[in-house]
Amino acid sequence: MSAHSHSDKFVYHEPGLQHQFDDMGQQEESVSLGMWLFLAQEIMFFGGLFTAYLVMRSKYPLAFASGSNHLDAFLGGANTLVLIVSSLTMALTVYYAQKGNRNMQVGLIVLTMLFGLTFLGIKAYEYTDKYNHGLVPMAGLNRRVKADSPASEHVGLVLPGETAVSASEAKPGAEPYVNPHGEFQWREYELVQHMMDKQRAEPNGHYLTLNEQLTYSTSPGSLVLDKDKFRDKVRIFFYIYFVMTGLHALHMIIGLGIMTWLLWMAFKGTFNAEYFSPVEMSGLYWHFVDIVWIFLFPLLYLLGRHYEHLGL
Amino acid sequence: MAEQTTEHHNPHVEVPNEHIGIPGYLGVFAVLVLGTILTYYVALMDLDWIFPGANTLVALGIAFTKMTVVGLFFMHVRWSPRLVWMSAVGAFFWLTIMFAYTMQDYLTRGTGFFGH
Amino acid sequence: METVGAIEAGSYGTAKLNYLNNGSTLKSWLLTKDHKRIAIMYLISVSAFFLMGGLYAAAIRLELLTPASDLFETGTYNKVFTQHGILMVFFFLIPSIPAVLGNFLIPIMIGAKDLALPRINLLSLYIYWVGGAITLWALMQGGVDTGWTFYTPYSTTFSNTYVLAVGVGIFINGFSSILTGVNFLVTIHTMRAPGMTWFRLPLFVWSHYAVSLIFVLGTPVVAITLLLVAIERVAHVGIFDPALGGDPILFQHMFWFYSHPAVYIMVLPGMGIVSELLANFARKRIFGYEFVAFSSIGIAVFGFLVWGHHMFVSGQSMYASLVFSFLTMVVAIPSAIKMFNWTATLYQGSISFDTPMLYGLAFMGLFLIGGFTGLYLGALGLDVHLTDTYFVIGHFHYVMVGGQVIAYLGGLHYWWPKMTGKMYSEFWGRVAAMLIFVGFNLTFFPQLILGYLGMPRRYAAYPPEFQVLNIFSTAGASVLGVGLTMPLFYFLHSLVKGKPAPDNPWLLPGLEWRTSSPPPTENFDTPPVVTWEIYDFGDESGLDLEAAKREAATVNA
Repeated sequence: MSAHSHSDKFVYHEPGLQHQFDDMGQQEESVSLGMWLFLAQEIMFFGGLFTAYLVMRSKYPLAFASGSNHLDAFLGGANTLVLIVSSLTMALTVYYAQKGNRNMQVGLIVLTMLFGLTFLGIKAYEYTDKYNHGLVPMAGLNRRVKADSPASEHVGLVLPGETAVSASEAKPGAEPYVNPHGEFQWREYELVQHMMDKQRAEPNGHYLTLNEQLTYSTSPGSLVLDKDKFRDKVRIFFYIYFVMTGLHALHMIIGLGIMTWLLWMAFKGTFNAEYFSPVEMSGLYWHFVDIVWIFLFPLLYLLGRHYEHLGL
Repeated sequence: MAEQTTEHHNPHVEVPNEHIGIPGYLGVFAVLVLGTILTYYVALMDLDWIFPGANTLVALGIAFTKMTVVGLFFMHVRWSPRLVWMSAVGAFFWLTIMFAYTMQDYLTRGTGFFGH
Repeated sequence: METVGAIEAGSYGTAKLNYLNNGSTLKSWLLTKDHKRIAIMYLISVSAFFLMGGLYAAAIRLELLTPASDLFETGTYNKVFTQHGILMVFFFLIPSIPAVLGNFLIPIMIGAKDLALPRINLLSLYIYWVGGAITLWALMQGGVDTGWTFYTPYSTTFSNTYVLAVGVGIFINGFSSILTGVNFLVTIHTMRAPGMTWFRLPLFVWSHYAVSLIFVLGTPVVAITLLLVAIERVAHVGIFDPALGGDPILFQHMFWFYSHPAVYIMVLPGMGIVSELLANFARKRIFGYEFVAFSSIGIAVFGFLVWGHHMFVSGQSMYASLVFSFLTMVVAIPSAIKMFNWTATLYQGSISFDTPMLYGLAFMGLFLIGGFTGLYLGALGLDVHLTDTYFVIGHFHYVMVGGQVIAYLGGLHYWWPKMTGKMYSEFWGRVAAMLIFVGFNLTFFPQLILGYLGMPRRYAAYPPEFQVLNIFSTAGASVLGVGLTMPLFYFLHSLVKGKPAPDNPWLLPGLEWRTSSPPPTENFDTPPVVTWEIYDFGDESGLDLEAAKREAATVNA
């Protein structure tokens, strides 16, 4: 306001009213419309990634299904619930901010932040797991294990609660984990092998798409699985997985920053029935991040899960 | 000013601040939790006997429902001015344009009359 | 900030407080929330980028004077044209009119005290500076050679230049556009003065509404696309590399989803300015106001449906090419509506050929050629012959320079008295406008012919039979260069020695001419109430023409 301080043409009718507006109604409408337009741009921002996902999944459905099945759907579902609870506490924060109830606001913001941190904790746990199993789609960013390392290292760091994720390694006769350069590794070819065999038996069947028949085979149309080519497609799934969830996690971290500021403001008792739009706008952001996850969860963790019925 | 341009009004003055109240919020929360559990278990079933891709459709249907509920009630779109509706729906419409016109390329590669 | 000092040094008799002399410390500029001061800072930054991009253009034309690649190595030449494109597109053309003139004028034109979100406005300026600084740093480190389009897999796998840094710079800069777009949309919706109904808005405001839609809905997509390119360069996963199962055409879809609408970002504001210029200097209500207004929105919407016409020879499916080609023809309709309405506006108008109007008329001719050559390129069969030739270069320079830059200069001359309170030299203004028009055509018309004859773009060397036309083009570029440099001098001169401008130098009814020149910080001494129709040059406008003339006479005396 310093640039305007010696201009006496306007009067503050209400605290929190900025000089360019005539009344609180106009200000709140402007701020809310601005926030919604910002969310519209966020939709398009994530939309670019969803387009990449859509195109790549339609090209390589089996590779994406294999990748999906390797993620821990239980943890993904748990994280969905955590975010939903945080959305509820956020909605209630807005509710109590409108009532000017300072203690409930502070308590609920702390709860929201705790659930946000829980989400990030579970996410970090999942990322660690990918790191241990050579599933980070960038050479050098996975756990390195040399062939002559002690046997205990080949099993991988078993984190508490680790379940189906390491199923392949639990199988008798599975090869030990060797990854001297920390490269992306993929070992599960049962699903694609199964489909490839069926496609070979029934050339007119629809077990693989035409594009898959060309791109997973050793030579176009041979219908003999080329493991390296299939691995490259799974790596694209994990690339999209990391970019999408990473960008979502970044939004969560920014959200936590906003919450910290909001907590301080609420603690000072800034918000009341007349002035609570910062709480409402932060809420919109938080709910939006929740909605992104509502889509990421089925798209990344669940689609293709039904192939587990094949018992491979 | 308010009488000249119709858009200058405060949505929080015209509608009660309560929106749906605490029982309402808890109800929405219950719907969201049920949706999450449902989508998890349905994904484990093999629905390909209905038609191929039925699993995808169900999963996305549930996700859209959850998004709608969060948007309408938690984000108060239900009580918001038309402009807010338009920016929310418009952004999704634009996303659909991007999906549709990109996929119209990929889905018609090497097939049909213009295939080669 | 020298400019600012100059303005204050030349302050004239009336010691009225205005936005320029309301605080003179560096802090009062860098931390200002006044949209007018932010616009001035944008003006200085954008001009600097234009100068740099122009130097690269001069280097390109100099290299192409001879058939051999003798001035630069071919690799250096790749960097030169890439950096010309990046600086001009992302740091000059896109922000030029919206961030400078739009920022300055939209609140005044709708009768508001400021934009709705002034702090966001300042933030977007800083984002622009940060993005620009990163890009310039990368250019100084060694530059980038991918072409401004960053086509994959060259940019992700093969290029060993500073793609990552430049990509990050443009990514950051994108958010400046987004925030400006959000701000304009909110402002136009909520900040209009009493009586300023939608159909009383100047067409300049309508076109900025359309542009803001593209900013908000398109820019985030190119941001995420460049982010994917950046990550891909680090991770080498191959999402855009066909050898690893990726798809380079996916990049083109995502890139052009924004970058084709961005072409309309680069011409719609120009169309808005030209609508103002033609109606005001013909002193006639614009013909078919509603059609011109809605054709802006139409261009913004249809502009999102045609991006595939950049990909006719990229391996896109033939069906998709057909659809995109058809829709490209459709998007010509709203542009044609504008052209016809402008022409009808001029009919029987009382036209005065002041400098801004010269630019307005130049725009009509040049945009006509730019638009028609666009139809050639949108036609599926002919495009196969013309893709990646100098015909494309000629076409889009006719739209970008002949459209946006000409309109930007027209707007700058038109509103310069309002922005600075000073009159520039009308004589030199007209000379510069004529030089630019002649130089521009001499530069780019030969390129259309060269492209039709088959000279490909992006090569430092070419067959000797193309040399004559290339010499014409380089000669034209010299004239154009002189023409574009002249405003810099007479504008700066006007700040120091220029006559003080009256409040309404062109005797026009628009809201921006009803406040002082330069306007006060709050834009109006008393909040305006609009009771007249837009572009009303009769008595109903409530404008006292005689008083305005008297004031102009006093100021001139």
